Amino acid sequence: MTTVKPDADAEVACRGLWKIFGDRGRELLASGVATRSRAELLAESGCVVAVRDVSFEVARGEVFVVMGLSGSGKSTLIRCLTRLVDPTAGEVRIGGLEVLSADAAQLRELRRRKVSMVFQHFALFPHRRVIDNVAFGLEVQGVGRTPRQERAREVLEVVGLADVERAYPSQLSGGMQQRVGLARALAVDPDVLIFDEAFSALDPLIRREMQDEVIRLEEKMHKTVVFVSHDLDEALKLGDRIAIMKDGAFVQVGRPQEIVGAPADDYVRDFVRGVARGKVLTAEWMVLPADPGAPTTSPAATVTAGTPLQGLLPVLISTPGPLGVVDANGGLLGFLDRAAVLEVLAGNDTVTARRPPDRAALTPSGIR
Amino acid sequence: MLAHGEIAVAEGAVDAPSPRAAAPGNGPSSPHRPAVCWLLSAGGAVAVVAAAAALSGFHAGFPARWNPGVAGGFSSLDNWVTAHQQSNFFLGTVIGDISTVLAVCTNGLLSFLTWMTWVGVLAAAGAASWLAGGWRTASFSAVVVAVLGLSGLWGESMATLSLMAVAIILSVLVGLPLGVAAAVWRPVGQLVRPVLDVMQMLPSYAYLVPVVILFSIGNPAGIVATFIYAVPPIVRFTQLGITTVGGDVVEAAAAFGATRGQVLRKVELPLALQSILLGLNQVIMMALSVVVIASLVGTGGLGDSVLQALNVVNVGDAFTAGIVIVLMAMALDRSSGAFGGRIGRSGRRSARQLALLWGAVVLVVLAAHYGAGLGDFPSGWSLSVSTPINTALSTLQNRLYHFASIPVVGGTSNLSSFLTLDVLNPLQRVLTALPWWVVLAVVGGAGWLFGGLRRALLLGACVVAIGLMQVWSATTVTLSQVVVALVLDLLIGIPLGIAAYRSRAVDRLLRPVLDLLQTMPAFVYLIPVVLFFSVGNVAGVVASLVYALPAAVRATTLGLRSVPVDVVEAGDAFGATARQRLGKIELPLARPYLLLAVNQTIMLVLAEVIVAGLVGAGGLGYSVVVGLERDQFGQGLTAGLSIVLLGVIFDRLTQGRSRAGTFTSAT
Ligand SMILES: Nc1ncnc2c1ncn2[C@@H]1O[C@H](COP(=O)(O)OP(=O)(O)O)[C@@H](O)[C@H]1O
Ligand SMILES: [Mg+2]
Repeated sequence: MTTVKPDADAEVACRGLWKIFGDRGRELLASGVATRSRAELLAESGCVVAVRDVSFEVARGEVFVVMGLSGSGKSTLIRCLTRLVDPTAGEVRIGGLEVLSADAAQLRELRRRKVSMVFQHFALFPHRRVIDNVAFGLEVQGVGRTPRQERAREVLEVVGLADVERAYPSQLSGGMQQRVGLARALAVDPDVLIFDEAFSALDPLIRREMQDEVIRLEEKMHKTVVFVSHDLDEALKLGDRIAIMKDGAFVQVGRPQEIVGAPADDYVRDFVRGVARGKVLTAEWMVLPADPGAPTTSPAATVTAGTPLQGLLPVLISTPGPLGVVDANGGLLGFLDRAAVLEVLAGNDTVTARRPPDRAALTPSGIR
Repeated sequence: MLAHGEIAVAEGAVDAPSPRAAAPGNGPSSPHRPAVCWLLSAGGAVAVVAAAAALSGFHAGFPARWNPGVAGGFSSLDNWVTAHQQSNFFLGTVIGDISTVLAVCTNGLLSFLTWMTWVGVLAAAGAASWLAGGWRTASFSAVVVAVLGLSGLWGESMATLSLMAVAIILSVLVGLPLGVAAAVWRPVGQLVRPVLDVMQMLPSYAYLVPVVILFSIGNPAGIVATFIYAVPPIVRFTQLGITTVGGDVVEAAAAFGATRGQVLRKVELPLALQSILLGLNQVIMMALSVVVIASLVGTGGLGDSVLQALNVVNVGDAFTAGIVIVLMAMALDRSSGAFGGRIGRSGRRSARQLALLWGAVVLVVLAAHYGAGLGDFPSGWSLSVSTPINTALSTLQNRLYHFASIPVVGGTSNLSSFLTLDVLNPLQRVLTALPWWVVLAVVGGAGWLFGGLRRALLLGACVVAIGLMQVWSATTVTLSQVVVALVLDLLIGIPLGIAAYRSRAVDRLLRPVLDLLQTMPAFVYLIPVVLFFSVGNVAGVVASLVYALPAAVRATTLGLRSVPVDVVEAGDAFGATARQRLGKIELPLARPYLLLAVNQTIMLVLAEVIVAGLVGAGGLGYSVVVGLERDQFGQGLTAGLSIVLLGVIFDRLTQGRSRAGTFTSAT
């Protein structure tokens, strides 16, 4: 189902993961009936298939977004990664550790040092001051009071909360509370950060601010991030790659352009309908390869592959001749079909990709 | 069984209006007509059968020859225990050691309090309450400590304080870990819950006899009885506190790799602290509410003073000791309550402040002991209020007790004889005349009606068990008192509850009175009641009446308040008069609460009727007291068990289908 190549460098890898809530989960899976629809299974056995045969890999430093409607199994999926929810079947590997066969001590170490979570409703400890909330992870590791508070202060500084360390969570606004949640996750300096709809509960304005904060931190720290969201704009903004989840299964995994430009099915198409495609799709996406047999035409103007279609308007207006697309090194990739680009910009979403995505051309980190 | 209940409820709702609009306050039964019809026709049938039975020479009561010898069995068990006290490991070593430890702790604490001198106690109490609740709480505690001394009951007070402290500490030591275990391990929780249910349903009396058999008379027995009675709240509140900690924060802690123990220590327990302290507060209140009862098994202190004074009808002395107990309870309640309220708020005292404060207290204690050579509260300072109280009360008694002092009713003695001769005795005669199988049929039938076959069988088994224990006639005596007190309670309580709902002024007037009545331990009601109604069954009925009244009033008011505002408004919009609104909207909607009012009232009445055995109300309570006093444990135990069974019957009959939850404080 997934199009991701096996990658030895993957920080987080997960293969054939299943989670069926209910006493008879394993039994259902073994008998092979688990492939039937979720509603059917629920009616027949009282079991909920929350995660259905999910496989994916997240490269080191990549931001991987899991998108889906409420109830599609996103939270369950990411909880399976550190076994906050025990999966029914499958494989999970994080930083070389086979998570599902790890013993209690290994699992604890994983959660203490390797993976941190930021929660939808913050889940701050109401009885602890901000600083003690942030220091919690270090505290359970057994770090002494002074060093862990020092570290907590450092991180609070990073998220811009240095002046409220003595406050209790209830005295802070929602946005500030989630900054504390973020600081708490960062304090243990984990390799992997998991966000479970971390910003859904915030006001739109604050939400955007927090997203920018994540982008800023990501540029600085290059953490591996698994980000759960039900907000497509958020996913497009943050994600190097996005997985669309429906009824427990991934229906499409790909770069934002692929999701928006080539929805795998009607479900995804519905999802991306409202998106301003001109902002997401780039010149590279619409490029028509120069026909090797045809006489070489030289472009009247060139644009770089990463330019969003929206950014092409001035060139389209000012330059009548053929428009070339060049890669970062100036090599010509091909030409743009003016009419198609204009149709996309005009909002006609029946126009699909002119060119199947060339994965090799763009590494995930090359998108931004 | 549910379906049955549902249908009856629906019918009640459908034909709720018509007749009731005219008679809004005619008792608890009014909002529940179908069941009432049933009960009335059942009652009629019973009367007919009873008459027939009496005429045709049916055997009344329970046949004496059906006696499996339960009482005898218990007595021989007691003998066996006595005989094996030394040789048996459990009795000798386990029970013996527990007993020794408790005795040593109590005596040690008492000696320590004595060593502290009264000034030291005053300082420590003041400091602790100041920490808990600030100056107001501190001054209240200080005044109470002063009153302990001024009442001339300093020694008794300190003895009671030590006993209570040991019982409370024991409750915490056992209850807290148990509550944690119940919250953390489901099987423990499932095991603990029904046990606690039973423990809380049992009146404090029921523990006394078995405890005495094991621990024999003395302080340890009193402590154990108090402990058993008082421990449930801390278990429950600990469990509740932990299980209600948000799943999200527990998950967050787990996500950061906290071990189960770390989650418990760093997240769950701190967050449950407030709830736990609330439990502790309840433990303290419950322990203090059984001070007098614990004295029945030989603990000294204030409880013993009350008992002795009641025995010789020295109301002044009983009153003084009773007041001291109540004040002590109030001081502890305020301090522990304030402490609970303070936790979680940010204003905590620094370690330095604490060290300073306690350092000062230690200094005061040392100075008082070694410097000033003080000891117990100087006896010369005591203001005996007993004599003036006795004088005042006898004047009052003279005016109220004897005939013609109150218009229409006459004196309380007239009231008393009316209740005895025209209400209690006839009712008791009818109940006694009923053959046991009629009672079985009625109780079983009602059980079937309310809860289906299972409940019918349970209740039937209870009736038969009471019969087999051969305490039938004592039970009918108790039953008649319960019925009379209940009916009076509802007749008074429901209209009062309605009045409090409808008028703010009434509510404001009633509230402090009800608060006071609800915080007083059961025995306190006996003291004034004895004065006006002398000892006997009427005293029992009146004490129960007063004791349970707050529950009836509160449940009614609460029920009416629970009616959604928009529904009431809709009634107003259609132009309903206040009376129509009450009869057609508010009372029908408040029905679950009214049923609950009946349930709570009846349980409280039962508990108090039993305590009233102390003032010669007869019945099962008296049997327990006699059993304890004369070493007739068989009789005491069977009576105690019957009380429990009677409680089960009443509870299950009145619980009906209403499961609205409880809202009166546990007593
Ligand atoms: N502990 C649980 N027991 C049973 N069903 C659960 C449990 N947790 C989640 N589910 C079910 O699994 C499905 C996926 O839930 P979740 O992972 O929370 O979805 P999302 O985070 O995408 O909203 C839902 O249908 C939910 O009802
Ligand atoms: Mg979720």
